[in-house]
Amino acid sequence: MSTVRTVSATSAVLIARTCRAEWSRLWTVRSTWVFVGVTGFVVVGFAALLGAEASGPSGPPADATAWDAGRTTTMFALFGVLALSALATTADHTTGGIVPTLQWTPRRTVLLVARTTVVAATTTAVGVVLVTAASLVVLSFVPEVGAPIGEGVETLAAAGFVLAAGAALAVGLGLVTRSTAGALVSVVGLVLVLPFLLAQLSVRHDWLVDVAAALPGSSALFLVFGEGPSDDMTTSSARTTFTLWAVAALVAGGLRLLRSDADR
Amino acid sequence: MISVRGLTKRYGGVRAVDDLTFDVVPGKVTGFLGPNGAGRSTTMRVVMGLDRPTAGTATVGGRRYDEIAAPLREVGALLDADAMHPGRTGRAHLRLAALSNGIPRTRVDDVIDQVGLGPAARRRVKGYSLGMRQRLGIAAALLGDPRVLLFDEPMNGLDLDGVRWIRELLRGFAAEGRAVLVSSHLMSEVQMIADRVVVIGRGRLIADADVDDVLRGLGGPRVRVRTTCASDLERALADHAAVERTGPDELEVTGLDTAAVGDAAHAAGVPLHHLAEVEHSLERAYLSLTAGSADHQGRPTAASAGDGR
Ligand SMILES: Nc1ncnc2c1ncn2[C@@H]1O[C@H](COP(=O)(O)OP(=O)(O)OP(=O)(O)O)[C@@H](O)[C@H]1O
Ligand SMILES: [Mg+2]
Repeated sequence: MSTVRTVSATSAVLIARTCRAEWSRLWTVRSTWVFVGVTGFVVVGFAALLGAEASGPSGPPADATAWDAGRTTTMFALFGVLALSALATTADHTTGGIVPTLQWTPRRTVLLVARTTVVAATTTAVGVVLVTAASLVVLSFVPEVGAPIGEGVETLAAAGFVLAAGAALAVGLGLVTRSTAGALVSVVGLVLVLPFLLAQLSVRHDWLVDVAAALPGSSALFLVFGEGPSDDMTTSSARTTFTLWAVAALVAGGLRLLRSDADR
Repeated sequence: MISVRGLTKRYGGVRAVDDLTFDVVPGKVTGFLGPNGAGRSTTMRVVMGLDRPTAGTATVGGRRYDEIAAPLREVGALLDADAMHPGRTGRAHLRLAALSNGIPRTRVDDVIDQVGLGPAARRRVKGYSLGMRQRLGIAAALLGDPRVLLFDEPMNGLDLDGVRWIRELLRGFAAEGRAVLVSSHLMSEVQMIADRVVVIGRGRLIADADVDDVLRGLGGPRVRVRTTCASDLERALADHAAVERTGPDELEVTGLDTAAVGDAAHAAGVPLHHLAEVEHSLERAYLSLTAGSADHQGRPTAASAGDGR
């Protein structure tokens, strides 16, 4: 009994320490700041353009609220979140930093949990803050559109889910590929490119619709905008699909981290 | 302290380490020698839990490295000075190490001073010379004041002062009762700092012995004599020792000390012009041990092949 408590206490301490180290590992390299800065600039800048247009002579679209800007910019934020999550995960493997990392944290399960949690939670939080900021920027341009609380909660919850699942998928693919280019191409392809490409082709091939609907990017589109390549999609099917992708990538990446040699 | 037992590591078809068994004991510096590709780095990577052994075990203080919760307090290692994120400052690198092992932050400044990194610690690793990266890696190894230390070719890239500093550092650690394993290409260095040597070739153990024993293993004292009557002396000594003609007027005698050779010469009525013991070097022992087990042997250049040695 007391042994069990000691053991779990030490692993809790260990995980907490490792999370703090991962947090510090994330913010002590310049590229993190650059990614956050650039994504913030694009998201908030785009919102400012939307706001400026809405405050012009033609006015805001009918029924528009400030959260429409949040939904639109979620896709921009998603790109930044995917890229930063992938880069933060692969950096250790591409620079050789994995050698000291594993010397300091040789329990790979602990590293896996801490890295996934810290990277995904941080990038998701950054994304949600930016999406919120974008909505508020539009609201400041055209206060008359309003920002209903209920819709805000829904929008931010959907954005949060999409960003978190995307970040987890990016971390998983980063651990699988151990290469920044590989992780970026695969995650951006799956989430942002393929669904659109397939949507173009699916006019001629019905089965492509099913393939497109099974991609995580289609789930993202459906959850944020309520539209998808297939009419059969529902919120829960989209959530399940995206979650399965993220979990599968994390399992594959986790196994690679746990089982194989620390390449350098 | 470090125990390697029947360790085998294969990378695809390459047997980098092959059924290797040895110990690294506290209070001594153990030199880890072998030609290029012998498997020294691989052995250290397996000890540090970076690579999984194909067979056998490697433990530190009776435990696998990856079972130790705060390993920096028990084991410090410098494996590959290039293997670190170039975008972080030296200090940030060390802070990460301290954070992840629950080591107080003040230690970071202590080790920065100890390795002489100074103000460079505030710069990004990208701009470090190899010697500075070595010092940073050593600083990280010392951070937790561990009882066991592993260094893979720590003198690489260090200037003369740096080499001297490392030499004293390692001797000092052993004197404090720590277990030190250091791999090196510099045989003369190992001879200077190591109490024991573990020599491997093609992943297999060639020798695991005290430095003194290895030197003695070369066949006892070796004496060089010069005399105009070399042939007479050669005959007189032939029954007592191994005698080698190294020049028209010069012999090298293995197995007798200078006094015995001098007495024999006197008895045979041979005048001596020179009589001295030849220092054994570990280099020589090492070369004779590893001859035939080097994977990568350079072809002699035309000049050195033709110089008649
Ligand atoms: N990741 C790897 N994949 C494939 N082969 C490897 C790998 N690491 C090492 N090897 C091979 O294993 C053998 C031992 O390599 P190792 O680096 O351990 O040698 P070493 O004794 O440290 O030599 P060096 O003096 O070159 O540092 C070499 O033949 C090397 O090519
Ligand atoms: Mg090596």
